[in-house]
Amino acid sequence: MLDANIRKILMQVRDEAAESGIQATLQLHHEKSHLMRIGNNSVSLNTSEDLLRLDMEVTEGRKQGSQTYLGAINDVDTVRGILNAAREKARMASPKTYDPILDEVETSISEDSQFDLDLADIDPGMKVEAYRNIIERLGGQYNFSGSWSSGLMQVYLLTTANRNEAYHRGTDQIFSIVLKHPQAKWELTHNQTGWRASDFTVDKTIDTLSKLIPVFEDNDGFKAEPGEYTVIFGPSAVAEIIGMAVYTGLAGRSWEEKQSWTTKYKIGEKILGDKISVVDDPKNPQTFMFGFDMCGRRRNIFPLVEDGELMNLMYDSATAAKYGKKPTGHDTGSPSIVMDTGFGPADPLEAVKDMGRVLYIPALHYMNIPSRSKGIFTGSSRFNAVLVEDGKIVSPIFSSRVTDSFGNVLGNVKVISSVSESVNESNTYGRRAPVAMSVPSYVVSEGVKITDSADSF
Amino acid sequence: MTEVNVKKEIANNISRITSEGADYVDARYYLDDSSETLLLYDGDLEANDTTVESGIGVRVLWEGAWGFSATSDPSGIDACFRKAAANARTASRLVKVPLSMGVGEAVKGSYASPVEVDPFSVNLQDKLAFLTRLDNDLKEDFIIKRMVFVNFQKKKIHFQNSEGSEINKDLASVFGTIMVMALDSDGEMQRRSMSLYSTGDGTAGWKMMTDPELFAGHAVRVKSELAELIKAEPLEYGRRSVILLPGQGHLQVHETIGHPLELDRILGYELSYAGGSFVDLDSFGKLRYGSDKLSVSSYGSIANSPGSFGFDDDGTPERDYLLIDRGILVNALTSRAMVNEANGRAGREVFAQSGGAARATSFYRAPIDRMTNVNILPGNDGSEEQIIASTEDGIVVDNPVSWSIGSNREHFHFGCEIAWEVKNGEKTRVLRNPTYQGHTLEFYGSLSAVGDKSTWIVEQVNNCGKGEPNQVMQIGHGVPVIKFDDVITGERK
Repeated sequence: MLDANIRKILMQVRDEAAESGIQATLQLHHEKSHLMRIGNNSVSLNTSEDLLRLDMEVTEGRKQGSQTYLGAINDVDTVRGILNAAREKARMASPKTYDPILDEVETSISEDSQFDLDLADIDPGMKVEAYRNIIERLGGQYNFSGSWSSGLMQVYLLTTANRNEAYHRGTDQIFSIVLKHPQAKWELTHNQTGWRASDFTVDKTIDTLSKLIPVFEDNDGFKAEPGEYTVIFGPSAVAEIIGMAVYTGLAGRSWEEKQSWTTKYKIGEKILGDKISVVDDPKNPQTFMFGFDMCGRRRNIFPLVEDGELMNLMYDSATAAKYGKKPTGHDTGSPSIVMDTGFGPADPLEAVKDMGRVLYIPALHYMNIPSRSKGIFTGSSRFNAVLVEDGKIVSPIFSSRVTDSFGNVLGNVKVISSVSESVNESNTYGRRAPVAMSVPSYVVSEGVKITDSADSF
Repeated sequence: MTEVNVKKEIANNISRITSEGADYVDARYYLDDSSETLLLYDGDLEANDTTVESGIGVRVLWEGAWGFSATSDPSGIDACFRKAAANARTASRLVKVPLSMGVGEAVKGSYASPVEVDPFSVNLQDKLAFLTRLDNDLKEDFIIKRMVFVNFQKKKIHFQNSEGSEINKDLASVFGTIMVMALDSDGEMQRRSMSLYSTGDGTAGWKMMTDPELFAGHAVRVKSELAELIKAEPLEYGRRSVILLPGQGHLQVHETIGHPLELDRILGYELSYAGGSFVDLDSFGKLRYGSDKLSVSSYGSIANSPGSFGFDDDGTPERDYLLIDRGILVNALTSRAMVNEANGRAGREVFAQSGGAARATSFYRAPIDRMTNVNILPGNDGSEEQIIASTEDGIVVDNPVSWSIGSNREHFHFGCEIAWEVKNGEKTRVLRNPTYQGHTLEFYGSLSAVGDKSTWIVEQVNNCGKGEPNQVMQIGHGVPVIKFDDVITGERK
């Protein structure tokens, strides 16, 4: 649990601020992270960080300022200093043209249902042995790289609006391995995710990659010339597309400011194909579940798209204040986006056995949005991508670029898997903030535009 | 604990870990790592944030394997060293190719960015008054959204290693962007922006921000270009010449020269996240990367740029050298351990020495191979106007909207803010939604014109992402106006 002394210090400063009439939000973020990198069949980096951050935001009428501190918190004066710095910034700020909505921890909450002590205290040596096992069993003739990030994150939130406390403790991990042929240069990958140490097993990776290796060893690459194809998008690709569609289309800010591919639509109108339903569900255990956002609002199930119709838009606090809407609990770096499964068989090859030639693209590399207004995205195939004919894998495919719209790809869906999969979408650019999506294990779309392809993997 | 005591603790721990058998030990002590961000959006101060960090990052090489640990608690220095050493020992249990820093000499030195007025010393109200003036300059009835963004960074770093090196760095960078948006005739939002750049000289602080040429005086141009853009036709699909202004050219260089020439990518250390490179060790000295007109340097002895930092995080002085010499690939962006591994793997000396490109974004991240300043050298094809005059059928493009690059950097797709059509040597009209795509070697092979020094500026990049754990790095790119022929532009119907 949260260090008792730190909790006491923060509550004391909160109380002092409240008594002085200061409107402030105090957010503590603690991470204990471990990451092991593999390169060229060796451990290339074994790193640990134990970091404590305190974010303070002060609101004075229409003026706001914030100060973030990364360092030790051993005394009240340190925290008072951070508060005073934020207060000084707020005092000198220029006023906004609207009234900010003040943060408030709606109800006290303490959650750690996705905390696993075994993962928090995982022995890096166990990771070494797992990688060694995989490399030895799949064959040291290949070039293996990868990374395995795991850690503990605690968030503790207080506001001067009341003495309620919001506390979250969780663990998370993302494991990846890349197997590259040193001469042919094709690349296979496997990822695992979860919040328990036991969510990872060596055998899952061995089983997945063992099935793919012969396809890539025994067949030349296929160059998909530009044109329209039926494509099986695997879970990572589905998560990328859905995640980007949500980010660019379902955020209240983008919609209000006409920067979104959904701008021309109203709530209740059809924006995607009939088969598409998407929800932000912080109680879905295939995601990392956060019961409150960083403004103190409870997060509840929040439908976004139902049977292709726009149901709701996500409003963060600042956007809601600016446009006269209610915040929807989306001041969070860890949404729980869930795409509903369909009725397709578990095996994607079974789903396309009558569809002739199909590209199976499990993941899209380096996706970006050339046009937000039109909802056009682009990205290229990379790992594990294969050509399928009549439900049978016939060859790997060379790096191929998909440039298409959300409307087309998610509007021409033929089959959606009945099985869901958790896809870890976390990054560690700033602080540890685990994000996972629950998506169907595949989606088959027709008429997907391949706009370029390389002669290599 | 005082600064002097912290440094003593670091020295004692380096000695202790080295005497226990470590191959190499270093520590980076960040006395101060501060960042201030101010954002005016439609005149509202949406970001008024300061971040202050300090701490120590320790790297230990043990039997060819790296261990790293970081702490923000000065009382935890001993434990941090012990953790880094323990991590290295654990890592050494799985080593196929031992990493080596080679034999290094003690380096003593210091470096300070050329700052005349520290932005952190400028009163916040004065900074906001400046931003508000810029914002007012951007106002027009047809403009729906306005943005003025500035970011100031300073880092005070002390470096020590087990070779006796001691280096002190005071780094400072400023970043700024103005942007305006408006709806075009199809109801799509268009934008035009401008980001603060450097001439490579001058001071890196507040004075850059207020310089009309470098940043503060572009509002009228940006607005008038947006006014043209919203009335423009979309770019039609087809092959034509593409002239990249530095606002777009720097990202082209960044993504398709800089990243593929990072040696850790070439050696396969970034495959699980950033990707690899189409370049291999046999490419150096042989691979024709582009036409004879293409010469590219690292660092470039640019005095004022986020990619100029004096000494890298291996303790190597930053070096000015060519990556591509008249079209031929000759060198890479390198660090000590990667150079040693590459030479060992190739069985010959591919790289004579480290390029001084080991960089970490903060005390709690370990150094990796990064770009410094990656620059296209100015050419002999004259001014932007002269390059346009020599173009029969093409477009001039500026500033990225989107970028998507193949995993080995072998192909790419870019979307830009604006294009100007060029017909028979003249700019004829503005076109919207421009995109272009290509394959890296074919593209640089089609480089047909490189602008002279009058077209060359240093564009600053504040957000280059790489590595695991992820790191955002600040980089510079000196680029002139450059022209490529027979490029696929626009999207197929």
